[in-house]
Amino acid sequence: MAAREKYDEAQVVEQLHNQATCKAAFGKVIEHYSSQLYWQIRRMVIDHDDANDVLQNTFLKAWTNIDNFRGDAKLSTWLYKIAINESITFVNKKKVMNQLSIDDDESFLVNQLESDEWFDGDQAQINLQKAIATLPEKQRLVFNLRYYDEMKYEEMSEILGTSEGALKASYHHAVKKIEQYLGETE
Amino acid sequence: MKQEDSTILTKYGKDSGFKVPENYFDDFNKRMADMLPDVEITPVDTKPSLWQRVRPLVYMAAMFAGVWCMLSVFSHFTDSGNALRISEVAEKLQDDKSNVDDFIMSGSVSDYDILNYEDSVMMSNEEDFTNDQQ
Repeated sequence: MAAREKYDEAQVVEQLHNQATCKAAFGKVIEHYSSQLYWQIRRMVIDHDDANDVLQNTFLKAWTNIDNFRGDAKLSTWLYKIAINESITFVNKKKVMNQLSIDDDESFLVNQLESDEWFDGDQAQINLQKAIATLPEKQRLVFNLRYYDEMKYEEMSEILGTSEGALKASYHHAVKKIEQYLGETE
Repeated sequence: MKQEDSTILTKYGKDSGFKVPENYFDDFNKRMADMLPDVEITPVDTKPSLWQRVRPLVYMAAMFAGVWCMLSVFSHFTDSGNALRISEVAEKLQDDKSNVDDFIMSGSVSDYDILNYEDSVMMSNEEDFTNDQQ
């Protein structure tokens, strides 16, 4: 297996704005970000096949709009923004297709979890995912980004367009709600 | 974060239980790179325009001109101010000289002297009047 080339974001961004090198550069972007974006999307849409579709749409959207990316923000921030928007749009569309209310996140996500063949968590992991599913959309996003990705509030603030203070409060409320849910189910 | 979610972290860890098919990411990366449509990239103009090149020089020149103007205005006010003050003081001293003399003299003039002075003025006025009548 060939050793992977070291990823240099500044160089890649420069190559993205050159017609001759842009496609190869975007290939490097896919290689570098596919895993982290996939897990963020997966925790939002739950099902693997859905996550795969949303990830594909995310990269296609980023690629077709690459000319609009001028490097003012970090590439990761821009990609996360697209991924999160795509995930939310996908979940809402799927809920409409299943004739569920837009606010009915919990039952929808739990159904997704139970029918996903690529989920093999034990009862404790199922309970945690169910607890996360009870959270409002924004709190769920903040919790996933902080708990699983260990993302800094500063970066999260740029992606979600919310102040760091509000994000800290969201995370605090999310943790409390999850602890309460898990305490009741145990 | 560590303190706040430590209960969840110690009990449940970071493994969410989600899995992916084997070699999923390698396959996805290849598949994704192959399906990218052709796009038109607008080259970023990295060569700076004439204005962008001369702008720092213009700003610096404007700053120096501003400083020079301020200095000349301040020095004008300071010089004319001094000149004004000296002439004013000299004039005032000149004007006030009589008052100063009066003030010094007032100490040595008694009420009796004032009454004598008033009488003499009255008498001279009466003399002038009788002379005019004749």
